[in-house]
Amino acid sequence: MNTPMHTGWDRLLAAGIWAIAWLAMTLLDARVDLANLAMILVLAAALSSLWLAAWASLMASVAAVLAFNWMFVPPRGTFLVDLRQHALLLGAMLLVNTIVTGLVARLRASARQAFAQAARAEQLRNWGERLRDEADPAVHLGALRELLQAAAGVPAAVIVLPPPAATRPPGSAAPELPLGALTAGEVDADQAAGLRLCLREGRALGRDTGRYEDQPDLYLPLRGRQACFGAAVLCGIGEVGLARRDAELRAQLQALCDQMGQALQRAQAAAAERAARELAQQQGVRNALLAAISHDYRTPLATILGAASALEEQADRLDPAQRRRLAHGIVEEAGRLSRLTDNTLQLARLDAPGVTLRCDWESAEELVGAALRHARRREAGQRVRARLEPGLPLLWCDAMLVSQLLDNLVDNALKYSPQDAPVEVLVRCAGSGQLLLAVRDRGPGIAPAWRDRVFEVFHRGALPQEAPLARAGEADMGRPGAGIGLAVCRAIAHAHGGELRLRARSHGGCAFECVLPLRTPPEMPTEEQVPPEQEGAT
Amino acid sequence: MTLRVLLVEDNRELRATLKAALSVEGYELLTAASLSEGLALAQHAQRPGAGIDLALLDLGLPDGDGETLLAELCRRRGCPVLVISAREAEGQKVRLLDAGADDFLVKPFGIAELLARMRVALRHRGTVLRPAVTHWRAGNLAVDIAAHLVQRDDTAVHLTPTEFKLLARLVRNNGQVVTHRQLLADVWGAEFTEHTHYLRLYMGQLRAKLEADPAEPHLLLTEPGVGYRLVEGDEP
Repeated sequence: MNTPMHTGWDRLLAAGIWAIAWLAMTLLDARVDLANLAMILVLAAALSSLWLAAWASLMASVAAVLAFNWMFVPPRGTFLVDLRQHALLLGAMLLVNTIVTGLVARLRASARQAFAQAARAEQLRNWGERLRDEADPAVHLGALRELLQAAAGVPAAVIVLPPPAATRPPGSAAPELPLGALTAGEVDADQAAGLRLCLREGRALGRDTGRYEDQPDLYLPLRGRQACFGAAVLCGIGEVGLARRDAELRAQLQALCDQMGQALQRAQAAAAERAARELAQQQGVRNALLAAISHDYRTPLATILGAASALEEQADRLDPAQRRRLAHGIVEEAGRLSRLTDNTLQLARLDAPGVTLRCDWESAEELVGAALRHARRREAGQRVRARLEPGLPLLWCDAMLVSQLLDNLVDNALKYSPQDAPVEVLVRCAGSGQLLLAVRDRGPGIAPAWRDRVFEVFHRGALPQEAPLARAGEADMGRPGAGIGLAVCRAIAHAHGGELRLRARSHGGCAFECVLPLRTPPEMPTEEQVPPEQEGAT
Repeated sequence: MTLRVLLVEDNRELRATLKAALSVEGYELLTAASLSEGLALAQHAQRPGAGIDLALLDLGLPDGDGETLLAELCRRRGCPVLVISAREAEGQKVRLLDAGADDFLVKPFGIAELLARMRVALRHRGTVLRPAVTHWRAGNLAVDIAAHLVQRDDTAVHLTPTEFKLLARLVRNNGQVVTHRQLLADVWGAEFTEHTHYLRLYMGQLRAKLEADPAEPHLLLTEPGVGYRLVEGDEP
């Protein structure tokens, strides 16, 4: 690779060329005429100018022409020229050498420039690549500092504002001390003040910037669009002789800084967008939840209001049986509202972060017993059967929650299966330290596409036209009837580190299976451990 | 004579509804909208002939959690207290029951449920002073505490000493909820109040011996997260 700098090797090479040329001329002296010898000298001058600086090249060729005159042009050994044609030859040689040297020097200068520009462009491109997909570009602060140092050859320091404050437009009042600002590199108090000023104004300051020219350091802002995200200082750059390259170098340094600024802005914009999207999503979820819940509430409320207003307005025209029926409707629907409220509150509670369960050792038998008792209160509940594996281990769980889970599942099964079909509550060990609580019905089942979605409370609002639960006998087939009950069940299972699944049964109907993890059982009392049967025998 | 019931409830509608419903049943109602008001009524009712026979205490009142009123009514006067709680007030409900409240109702509740609880509570009124319940019978099951006898279909059922102690404790408060903590403290001792798993074991054993279908108990009922309830004995 061609380097633009003149090294000792370059000079040696040029000297070598001259030496070879001179040797060749000496050897060929008697055999060829003067003009041909001159061609060798022109060639040597052209070749050597490739490696020598312009002035050195020119000096060398002038010296060579003089020496040529001395050695080869008759009368030899003098600077005198006999023939006019020889004078013309020498003059032309000098002229050609000068022109060649000048051309080569210009060519080399522009090549050098092109090379430097390519290197800068490459540097910017690499830097840009590095920053492109970085979620937090501030982690590259140290890298920026190194780049600046390498490019300028002086120590550098960089500060970046913390995200929230960084969005201020330039010119607005920044805090005196950018609290929480990230820093790379050491700065003294003056430089810190300079960085703050640069950051606040969003403009470069220091030597050749038109502002604070007397400063030894150069301050560059990390600019995004219409905002400044940080600043960099190049310490003592004014004292290092960078002369003509200053403008280009500064442009390059500023470009590096601006890339950082833009990356920071991009990252911030992305973060803001993400936050906005999350907010919108939360809002959407909440709206869907509210829509689903208010729909669920309206139905029982309509019944209650209808019955109650009938009792209020027409009491004296209704017979006792009619009045009782209306009152019964109110009681039934109020019960439904109450369960709905419990579920809604539970869902909200379980959704909140850091929910605490009131866990204790519970017996699955008792939990199922309580669920049966609740079910039996209603007429439909008579067809619930329980099947429990004997010798079930105790379960470490929140009794209220698991009761609610069982109540909801039984409720759901009763609601969506034929009047005469049994509903079965099954509890057994599921191997590998798990307990399976299942509620199984003989209803029409659930279409495969909906097996996961029935647990999502929000789908009612999202897909009003589809019939997710292929349940027969539902008055309004156009909506999933599961409501939030199953969503609560799944949330309860998850809160216990378990899982709730829906499985189609081989002979029709579906099974909601809740798998809960078992803990090492506690130590039982030893005083009278004897099981009742054996005890009776003694 | 009419029984006087103190109702402490901050919701005006519910207060009016309960007052109307209970008046129909022949109770005389004193109503308070806050704890301080309830406390004032309770203290005012010290005078002879104006005593309170039963208190219905709603949790989640604006001015406190009911501990002071419970202490005033239940510990100092032996007046039964029924706690009315919303589902969220789980912990507070159990705390008041442990502290001596007689039973609880979860809002919303039906009037029949309330009347049944009140009837049981009134029947147990003054048990601290009167001899404790020693006989209990429900359906085919009979318990005679003093004679240490448990009969199912007129056949003696053998219980281990701990099983019997547990059953006896439930018989003493039959029809009422007895919290885990109370049962553990009274049967095993104060240092066992966290050993809920003991209860699960012995209740399971009792059900196996006394219930027709242990998986679906009709006598020894579970109140999830609170305690156990032995159904109210048949009227003698």
